[in-house]
Amino acid sequence: MIAEETLVKDLQHPESRSKAFEVLVDLYKQRLYWHIRRIVLNHEDADDVLQNTFIKVYKNIEGFKGESKLFSWMYRIATNESLTLLKTKARKLDIGNGELQDKMIGNLTADVYFEGDAIQLKLQKAISSLPEKQKLVFNMKYFDELKYTEISEILDKSVGGLKASYHLAVKKIEAYLKENG
Amino acid sequence: MKQDHKHNPFKIPEDYFEAFSGNLMKRVEGKDDAIPKKDGFVVPDGYFDNLHDTIKPKLNVSRVKVIPLHRYRKYYFAAASIAAIVALVFTLNRGTADDITFEDIASSDIENYFENYASDFSSYEIAEVVPVDELEITDLMANSLNNEIILNYLDNNTDEFEELNLEYDE
Repeated sequence: MIAEETLVKDLQHPESRSKAFEVLVDLYKQRLYWHIRRIVLNHEDADDVLQNTFIKVYKNIEGFKGESKLFSWMYRIATNESLTLLKTKARKLDIGNGELQDKMIGNLTADVYFEGDAIQLKLQKAISSLPEKQKLVFNMKYFDELKYTEISEILDKSVGGLKASYHLAVKKIEAYLKENG
Repeated sequence: MKQDHKHNPFKIPEDYFEAFSGNLMKRVEGKDDAIPKKDGFVVPDGYFDNLHDTIKPKLNVSRVKVIPLHRYRKYYFAAASIAAIVALVFTLNRGTADDITFEDIASSDIENYFENYASDFSSYEIAEVVPVDELEITDLMANSLNNEIILNYLDNNTDEFEELNLEYDE
């Protein structure tokens, strides 16, 4: 696997940029996609956000100073883009975030790209009932299987706080599944 | 065993003992499968294979930067700040011969003042001081807008034409 520093250097160099970008997309597309998809829930929006994320990375790579890892930087862009999309959606529909979450969950049952069974649908309902931060941490830890240190770098939160958020989230989801089981 | 005589009324679920040690080990190892590990989301066939080709043509298209129009409220404060500036110019010119000019007052300070102390001006009161007829919309905004940007904004942010019928009866 290509070292991150080499990749960044190649991306910042105009001659090697195009090739390096292709490598970058191949390397991260799946991980970023699933991260985004779990926030926005439907494929079309996830596709939009993923493309925007990569375009942003391409256009801003020259300013990337390497203070954080390339990986966490991209995750951060993807997270912000996803949350922005949800906010824009809520504003356009003139509804609050909670209402939007309900709507998104409602749409899942008719979504051809959601093949979850009743339990998985219930799980999505449970996750959508969490506050934003707990939701992000839960998805990143449980499904993306990121380390706390990585999540900490992406979300700019302390590891201790993240652990607390995660455990709270798990407790709430378990309680939800039990209650509605 | 004399189980026939001492009839046991308690029953257990089927395969309880068979599954018992497995379930116990899971709990001991902290692997509680109360939450499913699969989320049920799928993607269209070949989506990831074609992603780079989809993104590539979009890389060098310079996107029109959309500058959001300030909210209505902001116009109000901007108008109020202009009113304040006009009023202050007169008082200062009459009052002192100091070299303090209105450029010395940060416009954020003025907006702040109106936000905190003088928000009970009605738009009529402000309109009385501000020569609205001579004002252009660009006087109230930090960034100039071209038609393309405005159209883009309207396209993205208004769903109904009714929203364009602004009412001025506050």
